[in-house]
Amino acid sequence: MILSKNENKWTYLGIGIVLLVLVLMPWIISGYWVRLLTSVFMFAVLAKAIDLMIGYTGYVPFGNVVFFGLGAYTTGILMSRGWLFIPGMLISILMSVFVCIVFGLPVLRLRGHYFAVATIGLNGAIMAIALNATGLTGGAMGIIFPPLAMNPAALNRLFYFIMMGLMILAAVINIIIVRSRFGFAIRSIKSNEEAARSLGINTTFYKTSSWIISAVITSVAGSVYGWWMSYISTVDVFNIMISVTSILMVLLGGAGTILGPIIGAFIFQLLSEVIWSQFLTFHLGILGVITMLVILFVPRGLVVGFTDWIGGRLKRGKKEAV
Amino acid sequence: MLFEIALNGLLLGGLYTLMGTGFSLQWGISGIINLSYGGMMVLGAYISYQFFTLLSVQPIISAIPAAIIMFLLGMAVYRFLLRPTIKKGSFFVTLIMTFAVELVLENFMLLIWASDYRIISSPYSNLAVELFETHLPFVKALIFAVSFVAVYLVHLFMSKTKPGKAIQASALNPDGARFIGINVERMYMINFAIGCAIAAVAGSLASNTNAFSVVLAGGLLGKVFVIAVLGGLGNIWGAALGGITLGLVEALGALTVGPEYNEALGLVVMVIVLVLRPRGLIGRRFWDV
Repeated sequence: MILSKNENKWTYLGIGIVLLVLVLMPWIISGYWVRLLTSVFMFAVLAKAIDLMIGYTGYVPFGNVVFFGLGAYTTGILMSRGWLFIPGMLISILMSVFVCIVFGLPVLRLRGHYFAVATIGLNGAIMAIALNATGLTGGAMGIIFPPLAMNPAALNRLFYFIMMGLMILAAVINIIIVRSRFGFAIRSIKSNEEAARSLGINTTFYKTSSWIISAVITSVAGSVYGWWMSYISTVDVFNIMISVTSILMVLLGGAGTILGPIIGAFIFQLLSEVIWSQFLTFHLGILGVITMLVILFVPRGLVVGFTDWIGGRLKRGKKEAV
Repeated sequence: MLFEIALNGLLLGGLYTLMGTGFSLQWGISGIINLSYGGMMVLGAYISYQFFTLLSVQPIISAIPAAIIMFLLGMAVYRFLLRPTIKKGSFFVTLIMTFAVELVLENFMLLIWASDYRIISSPYSNLAVELFETHLPFVKALIFAVSFVAVYLVHLFMSKTKPGKAIQASALNPDGARFIGINVERMYMINFAIGCAIAAVAGSLASNTNAFSVVLAGGLLGKVFVIAVLGGLGNIWGAALGGITLGLVEALGALTVGPEYNEALGLVVMVIVLVLRPRGLIGRRFWDV
């Protein structure tokens, strides 16, 4: 039971085929679509990271985008001072873990609303610091990454595969977590934190660790995003819309499932692109209306809704056969 | 000098109190964190702007029709979008729903008024009052006074009238309120709509001194978060304490670390208060008074 309740060899075959198609894609489609798919992968990574908190641990880190921004900015500052990408990314991971521990220990005592709001506050505060510490971060001018000496097509492909690798990595981490003791611990926190603690589970340790894992994945995605875009600014990478979009993707696909957030990311990002190119002036409003419809009519997400529907049909089929 | 800063902070705090009251009522009583609050404030300002350009009515007066329009809009939003969501999902789904409302509102305002900054210039915007050798703009004092009156009216409504008491009862003990025949869902709806109306009034008043645009909605939301959380939720006195504290913190911050850190300063204070006293500085609901 790794991906869903009714899985069999066909599920694996299907996933294998999809992955194969995705690997061959960059040589078939145009540069525009390669970049679009790269952004889909990026949002799938962010959605998986935030789902670790929402779907499994039961906390909603509304301001999770702060780690995206921290990753992009730390890497950017170091790379524009002559560092290579990998060491820059490692330092930015350390930075995110540091912020996560210092801030997470006190704030994870808060529940529900209050935790969500505190993370929004953290994001706003760090964004303001990044915007005003002009000497270090370039302030409102943003940061320019040193350019890569490659032709555009190869560059597109490079980032396509990095982001795709990250997405697969995030899914694998999720599967490992779900099947381990750690997974049981965080799910017990989601269902009843007091009961979990009274059974001797160190809830503080587990929920902080869970947030750290989420933060590290988000931060790496931020580092790669900065390198890919080669220019970042505070309104860009600390934008709360990034968190909100990834939460929407989790909702759309189904929280607490392996494939849900990824499917949500694909549907939402492709849909958003189509709307954006067709109805530029109504873009925000249509996104809002779609969100409302999803919440009102598929509250548990497409994956759960779909498996329920299939399950219902199977049951009915069996009954008729009897 | 210090007196002038304190006075400015206090006057700003009056408007902040009004802003925070609506948000705090919605969150503390109806249980909804309204992420579209900033958009609603800006919409209130635009309604006043429209009244001013078409009929040259002053925002102090057009705040009343703005409040009525937003009250009706708030009822509709609660009835058709929020109530079905609350029945189905956890709180964060409701949070996302209010965000969707914000997206639609922002898109609507962008289509009609574009994103240029607008300002309403009143005939009294250049008047000033001399108070203890300090130069005090008349508009700021007027806004403070109107905010004070509005907050006091909300307080009177909540504590003296029958629907107000029913709203308090619904918040205090929903089952008990249902038992004595109060339509709790309806009370939550009215309370939410009152919050929207307050947002519109605050937006109209603010349009007297500040240039406004849709792009400000996010920043305004940040401020009301800080105000509501600082004082304690669902509590008018909490909102007053939070509003005046934020006003003073911003006035002092502008002098010491520079006005560009205003937003960060407020958020830092909020996070500290959240961690130390999750129920806010006052730490009790208004029905405990």
